[in-house]
Amino acid sequence: MSKFTAQLVDDYADKLLIGLTREENASVLNEFDIIEANMNKINDIAGLSSVEPMTHPFEIEFELREDLSDESDSIEQLLQNCEKKEGREVEVPKVVGE
Amino acid sequence: MTLLATIGLEMHCEMKSNAKVFSRGKNGYSEIPNSNVVALDLALPGTMPTINKYCVKNALKMSMILNCEQPEYMYFDRKNYYYPDLPKGFQITQFHHPVGINGNVVIEVNGERKSILIHDIHLEEDTASLDHGFASTYIDYNRCGIPLLELVTEPCIHSSLEAVAFLEHMRSVYKYTDISEADTKKGQIRCDVNVSLAEEGAPLGTKVEIKNVNSFSNVAEAINYEIKRQSELIESGRQDEIEQETRRFDEESGTTIRMRSKADAIDYKYFVEPNIPKYKITKEWLENIRTEITELALERKDKYIKQYGLSDYDAGVLVKEREVSDYFESCIALGIDAKIAANWVTVQILAYINKYELALNEFFLTPEMLKTIVDKINDGTISSKQAKEVFFKTLENNKKPEEFISKENAQISDRKELESIILEILANNQKQVEEYHNGKSNLFDFFVGQVMKQTRGKANPVLTKEILNEKL
Amino acid sequence: MKTVLELRELLDNGQVTSQALVDEALVLAHQNQEKCNSFVTILDDAKGNHEKKSLLSGIPYVIKDNFSTAGILSTGSSNTLKNYIPFFNATVIEKLNEAGAVPIAKSTMDEFGMGGTGTTGHTGIVKNPWDPSRMTAGSSAGSAACVAAGVVPLALGTDTGDSIRKPAAFCGIVGYKPTYGLISRYGLFPFASSLDHVGVLTRSVEDACATVDVMKGMDERDQTSLDSSTMHLLDSLTGDIKGKKLFYIKNLLELDAYEKVSDSLKSTFAQFESTLDLLRNAGAIVEGIEFDMALLNAIPTTYVCISCAEATSNLSNMTGFSFGSRGEGSTYIESMKNHRTLGFSPLIKRRFVIGSYVLQKENQEKFFLNAQRVRRLVVDKMNELFKHYDAMIMPCSEGVATKLEQAGNMLQNDLLEVLENLMVIGNFGGFPSITIPNGMIEELPIGVNITGKVLDDENILNIAYTLESKMPYKNQIAKEVN
Repeated sequence: MSKFTAQLVDDYADKLLIGLTREENASVLNEFDIIEANMNKINDIAGLSSVEPMTHPFEIEFELREDLSDESDSIEQLLQNCEKKEGREVEVPKVVGE
Repeated sequence: MTLLATIGLEMHCEMKSNAKVFSRGKNGYSEIPNSNVVALDLALPGTMPTINKYCVKNALKMSMILNCEQPEYMYFDRKNYYYPDLPKGFQITQFHHPVGINGNVVIEVNGERKSILIHDIHLEEDTASLDHGFASTYIDYNRCGIPLLELVTEPCIHSSLEAVAFLEHMRSVYKYTDISEADTKKGQIRCDVNVSLAEEGAPLGTKVEIKNVNSFSNVAEAINYEIKRQSELIESGRQDEIEQETRRFDEESGTTIRMRSKADAIDYKYFVEPNIPKYKITKEWLENIRTEITELALERKDKYIKQYGLSDYDAGVLVKEREVSDYFESCIALGIDAKIAANWVTVQILAYINKYELALNEFFLTPEMLKTIVDKINDGTISSKQAKEVFFKTLENNKKPEEFISKENAQISDRKELESIILEILANNQKQVEEYHNGKSNLFDFFVGQVMKQTRGKANPVLTKEILNEKL
Repeated sequence: MKTVLELRELLDNGQVTSQALVDEALVLAHQNQEKCNSFVTILDDAKGNHEKKSLLSGIPYVIKDNFSTAGILSTGSSNTLKNYIPFFNATVIEKLNEAGAVPIAKSTMDEFGMGGTGTTGHTGIVKNPWDPSRMTAGSSAGSAACVAAGVVPLALGTDTGDSIRKPAAFCGIVGYKPTYGLISRYGLFPFASSLDHVGVLTRSVEDACATVDVMKGMDERDQTSLDSSTMHLLDSLTGDIKGKKLFYIKNLLELDAYEKVSDSLKSTFAQFESTLDLLRNAGAIVEGIEFDMALLNAIPTTYVCISCAEATSNLSNMTGFSFGSRGEGSTYIESMKNHRTLGFSPLIKRRFVIGSYVLQKENQEKFFLNAQRVRRLVVDKMNELFKHYDAMIMPCSEGVATKLEQAGNMLQNDLLEVLENLMVIGNFGGFPSITIPNGMIEELPIGVNITGKVLDDENILNIAYTLESKMPYKNQIAKEVN
């Protein structure tokens, strides 16, 4: 029996600011079950907890960037793909509360 | 029942640098919205963060100043959430391996020294700023990506007095090291405050968080209000009503107001930032950075008291601002007596720059010039009174003090000269001399006055008194 | 149709002009568009380049639509960016421009790279030029299709789980994914940053070398990029692989291990054996090794966890606020939500939810972090093997390109899943990896994959080049089957 419910899936999607159709929700539920089953394949591997998680494909040596600033990009360039703006700023519906 | 307040502080401070911490945009204040912005600050698709060496260096420096442990590798985490001031949908910060952990810092509260334990200090980026209009909000990305150092204390503070003392101390450290301008008026410092109340000896009470308090006086007010609010609830048996929640401080009412509860707490899904590889922090680099750490306020203050014999008060005044302390130390380096220098700086100089609202680096009279004046007092060329005149004339005319010390203006310090003047005056005031010898000792001042009148104030007062005493 | 190197000769000899090449490519592009839907944008005003600056000067090429191209629509095949025009170029585009190559189109892909079929782009599915009832695989779908069809000799691709190398196999061409960091990702729309690679699709190994020689290089805007200034890929091809040692995973090549054994699978394995013999005849040593089955079985889910998690985070910038189509809404939350709900396709929405799930505080240890641990175990195992071998060689897939009607895009659950996803090992460890065609099944191409150790690109390219020269598939153009 799956521990996942349609409600749970909707909640997760909601936290991502994504809405799902019934169909999409059902597909996710299906995939969750598969993943849950497959996770056992991972958890079956011996000695896993003593392995350090890998965050990058290999250890990369690199130089830190010098503290030099670039010129600001022009306001025209910056806002050229912005559909709603006021003057030099991006405009969004009023944010209340915090 | 005696309730003890336990307070933890999170202090966010904007760092100084030329460029932002993960973006190559300029780190600077501008009145014009979106004028210090590059593509990455808007999180345009395909842009990538790169770390700024100068910011990392200063973060490590601060970590060492706070006596923290530094990690072997510097790396960053993503804090994921959605908000209009966060264009990437995540903030790059340090969650798993901050630049400093398990530190401590000694502060002064009401003349006593106290150690504040530091949980961690970490490097992160600031968000954009939101301008709220009537029906819309406007986003300015200038601030987006500016480097921040966030310092988290252990819950070891127990009053608003201690909290503010700590914050003031940290502000001084930031300014002394030039790591931040630390100006609350410019919004460069923001604090989150955690307050809980419990009976002494009992386990900690429910923790309430107050977010985004933007001045030290507000921090004090917020703490005091929370203590009052929570005490009232506990004392009336309603302590279950104290929830683990996030509140904000409302300046107008001087109260804290609920924002969200723990249940609504956001899961930030922290994970390691894959676009910035782990950077090895070598012992050599740390040692190098350590050599850059200069004496900070408290150390200097202790030195001034122990080595120069200054009073606690004077030492305190001198170290409050680094420029003042640096000026004072330049004077000492030039050979001016510490107490004399301290006096000049704390009395004349500070009064002057405060009155005319100058910064010390705009103040015309340099330590070298001060030395000239002090030397002239010491060798008797001018009197203290005359020195003050020279001081002001120098500043008014923006000319060197030497220009105002001339033979005509010079103090009469020649014994023979003064002796002859004094003898003349005594000769002309026989009556008063007799009265003086008969007991009217306050006539001494009269004689001094006469000498001053005769010499138009140029007689060396110390010598004058000495000679008068001899002759009378 | 000519390869890049052949075109270079013709251009240098004055036998053809760049403009002529560009014009021809544009005509072919429109034809191919009708048949395969390879492109999001065709740059009809592309101009030939007659200044010789590099091997690539004057040669037309195609750019996958997840690369930022200044002034040119760049959509990532997503509705969220359907009108997005960047004002800057991705670093690789700058380099190719500098080199004088001529872009003639932006190709269709799986949305933001998150798919393996070529069917999830917002402008529709990409069809395989060999058989339009079949997929090209993805996500570098359009790039593979147009190179296979002969529109251009070279196209850019990206590879996060095999997105260059699988389409190359299904389309009978060369797909090369260099060592991680060899090519800058600045300006590339990210999918999973620790797995994303920039690479190329061409019809010959030499062309892949020549192109990556131009594209590679340390970029201060990408701190994961590496210095490869001592690597000269084209020049280091010798055609001599005597003594080179390769391994294959024998427990994945036993027919008995599979629940379903199709004729296709049998044929693929048989042709793979022949390919190995070609290598042996050229002096290489090829051996089978046993690879820990538990680890192999864990690979597909490991990939899903890591890639979905990173993707969810990477695509959190799609809000419609400072760029992208603005979502309706009276609050900022509504607006963001509408932009994302309507803008993202069902497939990637599902991936995001999974990604979000594995990153939740209560799940991270069990899912995400464990997946990262398995990644390390797999990579460590590979590095162990690479101490004794120059490369791993394996078939790319069970068989030929899948029929479009069977493209589920859903996650599967058996050993075939391991075989189909094996190339993701190249992404886990950032290993250089190249696919070349090695056979046919019923006149449809299949491919073989060679993967080597980090920064050993020259070595595996040479192996691929030598192998290629022993087979008749170099520079093959798709011949549509009936």
